[in-house]
Amino acid sequence: MRLELKGLTKKFGSFTADDDIDLVVEPGQIHAVLGENGAGKSTLMNMLYGILKPTSGEILIDGEPVSFSGPGDAIAAGIGMVHQHFKLVGPFSVADNVHLGREHTLAGGVLAAKAARQAVLDVSERYGLRLDPDAICEDLPVGVQQRVEIVKALSGPKTELLILDEPTAVLTPAEIAELLDIMRSLAESGTSILFISHKLKEVQAVADTITVIRRGKVVAELEPTASEAEMAAAMVGRAVTLQVDKTPAEPAEPRLEVKDLTVVNAAGVKALDGLNLNVHSGEIVGLAGVEGNGQTELARCILGLLKPDAGHIAIDGADVHHHDPARRIADGLGYIPEDRGRDGLVTEFSVAENLVLNQYRDEPFAKNGVVDAAAVRKRAVDSIAEFDIRTQSPDEPAASLSGGNQQKVIIAREFSRPRRLLVAAQPTRGVDVGATEFIHNRLVTERDTGTGILLISSELDEIYALADRIAVIYNGRIVGEVAPDTPREVIGRLMVGADLGGDADAETDPRTRPDDDANGGDR
Amino acid sequence: MSTDTATPPAEQPDAAENPPPRPGFTQLFGRYLIEANSVMVTVYSLLLAFLIGAVLLIVSDENVRSTYTYFFARPQDALTSSWILVRDSYLALFEGAILNLNTLERFQAGTAEFGDLLRPISETLLNATPLIFTGLAVGLAFRAGLFNIGAQGQLIFGMLGALAVGFSLNLPAVVHLPLAIVAGALAGAAFGAIPGVLKATTGAHEVISSIMLNNIAFFFLVWAIGTGFFHSETKSELVTKPVDESATLPTLLGWLGAGLRVNLALIVGLAAAVFTWWLLSRSTFGFRIRAVGFNAHASATAGMHVGRTYASTMAFAGGLAGLAGAALSLGVGSSGVTTNTALEYGFDGITVALLGRARPGGIVAAALLFGALKAGALSAQPDVPVDISTLLQAIIVLFIAAPALVKAILHLRTPRGGMVTLEAKGW
Amino acid sequence: MAVKPYKLALVGLSAVGLAAVAACGEAPSDSGDDNADASFLACMVTDSGGVDDKSFNESSWNGMLAAEEENDDIKVDFKESSSETDYDPNLQSSVDDGCNFIVGVGGLMTENVNAIATANPDVSFATVDGFSEVENVYSIQFDTAQSAFLAGYVAAAQTQTGTVATWGGLQIPPVTIFMDGFARGIAKHNEDKGTDVQLLGWDVEAQEGTFINGFESATDGKSQSDTFIEQGADIIFPVAGPAGIGALTAAAEDDAVTAIWVDTDGYESTDYGSEIITSAEKGLANAVKDSVLAAYDAAQGGDAVTGSYIGTLENGGVSLAPFHDFEDDVSDETKAEIDALTQQIIDGTLVVESPASPTAG
Repeated sequence: MRLELKGLTKKFGSFTADDDIDLVVEPGQIHAVLGENGAGKSTLMNMLYGILKPTSGEILIDGEPVSFSGPGDAIAAGIGMVHQHFKLVGPFSVADNVHLGREHTLAGGVLAAKAARQAVLDVSERYGLRLDPDAICEDLPVGVQQRVEIVKALSGPKTELLILDEPTAVLTPAEIAELLDIMRSLAESGTSILFISHKLKEVQAVADTITVIRRGKVVAELEPTASEAEMAAAMVGRAVTLQVDKTPAEPAEPRLEVKDLTVVNAAGVKALDGLNLNVHSGEIVGLAGVEGNGQTELARCILGLLKPDAGHIAIDGADVHHHDPARRIADGLGYIPEDRGRDGLVTEFSVAENLVLNQYRDEPFAKNGVVDAAAVRKRAVDSIAEFDIRTQSPDEPAASLSGGNQQKVIIAREFSRPRRLLVAAQPTRGVDVGATEFIHNRLVTERDTGTGILLISSELDEIYALADRIAVIYNGRIVGEVAPDTPREVIGRLMVGADLGGDADAETDPRTRPDDDANGGDR
Repeated sequence: MSTDTATPPAEQPDAAENPPPRPGFTQLFGRYLIEANSVMVTVYSLLLAFLIGAVLLIVSDENVRSTYTYFFARPQDALTSSWILVRDSYLALFEGAILNLNTLERFQAGTAEFGDLLRPISETLLNATPLIFTGLAVGLAFRAGLFNIGAQGQLIFGMLGALAVGFSLNLPAVVHLPLAIVAGALAGAAFGAIPGVLKATTGAHEVISSIMLNNIAFFFLVWAIGTGFFHSETKSELVTKPVDESATLPTLLGWLGAGLRVNLALIVGLAAAVFTWWLLSRSTFGFRIRAVGFNAHASATAGMHVGRTYASTMAFAGGLAGLAGAALSLGVGSSGVTTNTALEYGFDGITVALLGRARPGGIVAAALLFGALKAGALSAQPDVPVDISTLLQAIIVLFIAAPALVKAILHLRTPRGGMVTLEAKGW
Repeated sequence: MAVKPYKLALVGLSAVGLAAVAACGEAPSDSGDDNADASFLACMVTDSGGVDDKSFNESSWNGMLAAEEENDDIKVDFKESSSETDYDPNLQSSVDDGCNFIVGVGGLMTENVNAIATANPDVSFATVDGFSEVENVYSIQFDTAQSAFLAGYVAAAQTQTGTVATWGGLQIPPVTIFMDGFARGIAKHNEDKGTDVQLLGWDVEAQEGTFINGFESATDGKSQSDTFIEQGADIIFPVAGPAGIGALTAAAEDDAVTAIWVDTDGYESTDYGSEIITSAEKGLANAVKDSVLAAYDAAQGGDAVTGSYIGTLENGGVSLAPFHDFEDDVSDETKAEIDALTQQIIDGTLVVESPASPTAG
């Protein structure tokens, strides 16, 4: 299929999300659309998939202009889409999910299970995507779930163009490599792919041609031979340093000591299983690992939102078991939560209110239980200037800000009060290149003032860029602590538990564990 | 449906082809009127409710209905009688709630006192008073993300608390009345705190627990009235002792004429609304309530005690509902309280809070509207069925709760900031 | 689309409706009532529950309608109260509407009626189930202990298991007076005939018993009746208005169980005539009707009605209903005894005592 966009424009009131976008996807081509968050990628994609109606401009398929009034039209026209957030029904089988909404039925509405299974097997075979049609989706690893989404998209009546929206955000390095292989083989078999991403390496690795959009406009057409710096400059509109300048760390006294931490979740599974970890003043410890291996629980335990079932946490040498989050925050714990919208911001609150969310009771922001609006506002004006938060005013709701600016609000909040230890979980997730650069530099500056930083990230690039020491977490335990110059492959293997049973286990967890668990820690 | 896959671009862009350089005020206002924003949705909900009410009035009136049986023979009969019925019914509601035109004539002729003119307004305000309190009780909890269905039970306890102090202590009025009011607030607060504490400590959903507590409160009331402590010494019916004169809420307009029953509780209610507004928008407690209501996760991450916020908000809400109970038991004068005194004020508070969009100012306005409907319906019966006020309230709230319905019926535009939604995050 | 004209019509109508409120012209008051030109307006203010409560509000209203039926010069009207807060405005607006006679239903309203009657000496008032000493207030009360006494005597004679039961809606005098009479009737049978019939649900000495806390829920009434049936009762006497239907459905499910109804002749007023041995009737409608007619007569002489009325066996204000389907089951001996007891009560040789009796208050 040949897809052509001519002068595609989408306006929301006075705001132009996409402005006169021209773009051609040739048959069998992988066409990357590169842009920062808020550049207009999602709007573009939603117009292509029939979710939004263009204000003006044309979409042509094989030279014929088309107009979609809903995703159904787009699917009928041969467009398949894999969303960033999977749209699978967890307890259903792979075959059921693939045919969700267009079930094969026999007479009387009986599901034709056999036909559905066969259809999945056919598609899997044709494109070389291995899938067990009977597996239950929620039991599958994230990478395989994504494969289900791809097969689902390809199972449309005549899918010839696949839109992949930030498909690598949730994958492990190995799964990313696999996905890129799949994309290549799909393209070879004639499927056109529109690949939406802000990750330069992947785009470079797989795209045939690259369109960069910024503020709703096409600003560059690049070849995959373009350097990362070129791409980043086009995205941001100025030269960007991708490398963070930093001096070697000078670790001093311990700021965070985690000993034998165990958390049993509601399902009775150990989310943390005797985890040990130290962070010293003046160093950034990168915690690498595939998401869901206990990072979330660890962060919540350090803040005090989650009470461990066993083990100790000491901050600044003092056991904090009996300290509530408010106390720990007051004592200098900074916390950047991984899920910004859920845990970091009250998005309905103004920027100003969010900037004092964990200080609203302290002077000068409140006196005798009354909020001092002027003081809150002054803090907001200062922070907006210092942290370059792009907002129309301090009174705008946080929801109106872009992801990167929302994250800057959180950073500003945590960096504007005395701190001794910072837990930064996925600090640049969904944040554009420019803001990432800013946040990375702030974290290093922060380290240099003597704060201990625990950086939790599922992106190895980020870990490599910032960490002075890398700890790898797998199944609730630290399976290895390595230097920042350790090769990617080694860490990648640790992340999936491949090197377990060897030195790593013995090195970080020398105890005879069963007894420890039975007797518990300070609980 | 893919029928219009090939339709040419929509007409809207052409329609807005020649926009004036700057939209004038009238134009902006005109656009505002046809937009589904929260103010206009409320206005249109009221209009639609009165419209549907008119249809139901016509359908339920036997005489008018009979004229429709020969509609095609003599349509003017049906139309005229429908028109007269609807006009008279709404006029009667107006006269019962705002101003009685007959009384006005008599006043102009010198046969009625000025106080007589104020009687409908007085009744409206009297009926609105408990609704202000229960509306605030529900609305405040809304803001913390809690659905306080339990205002009825909290009101009942407030009623008993105020009553107990009101008849059992022998004190001068300056002390007795405030003490009785405070007792009502505290009793309501104590009862209201229960679902909050249960939610904070065990995660029990406040909707379930407060519904159950309503039943407990009602049967406690039935039992309590029968006890020697509460039961009337002079009457054998199931009615309590009356409160002492020194604990009775003084009327506001009594000096203007007889039967002007609106009392000091109205002033307390308006003060409570102002205080609630201040609390929500200016205090650190209100900051916490709103933060927790919008996003409990982020609030907990910022070090706020979500559970304690739930408990204290529910206690505060219970205190407001308890004040409604005090307004009832200290306002009924010599009669004493029966199992019926609380009516459904607590449940009506939910609809008041919805209509007022959980904002103190809106709640006061909604309470006045519902108070007017009740006063109007009471005085307009039996020509107008007394249930008309409940019916209109229900229809209004139905439309408020489903703004998309109003938008679809009247073909309103989508406002800039998206459709209005209710803050009922408690579910 | 087909809906559109309809929507337009709706919008148009709303504008019309609004214009009506704004224009507020003179309304021709042609409500189409039977006695549109009547000179005497009799009004009723209900207690909570409404005019169609299948209980005392409705019975009283039926009496009003009967008076209107009987005399072309009388027109009747009503106003409903949702709680005692509504008594005063409803009484006041009845006066304002020019009502010549105003009936307040329910003993709780007596004080409010007294107050407004004192302020309006030219208007006649009545209070149902309440006693007033105010000149222009006519008290309507019933000594239903008398009819319930006879019902209790019948129950004691008819029970096979030796156990009968009663339960009430709320513990208020108009309810407990029935239960007192019922209990005393059973005691009388035990004393005279040497039986040992037990009564569940009411202790007449302690004035304590079983109440379902309302007059609405037939479901509660049925479960309470089932409980008593399990404890051996084979005759149930529910004193709870519409909720009493629950006792009848319970009786219908068990061949051995029957019921005795209150207020009206249940054989006529319910669908369970075959389950009802008899009923302890209270002639509310008749008494209200008579009061309206009396007030009308007084008004013709320019006076307000005065005095009081207590329904008794003697004046037929209370009575024991016919046995209907149970005519053959009740022995002639029992019937004779009932007649004798009725006579003794009328004579005053037998007094059925109840703290709730109108003579006591």
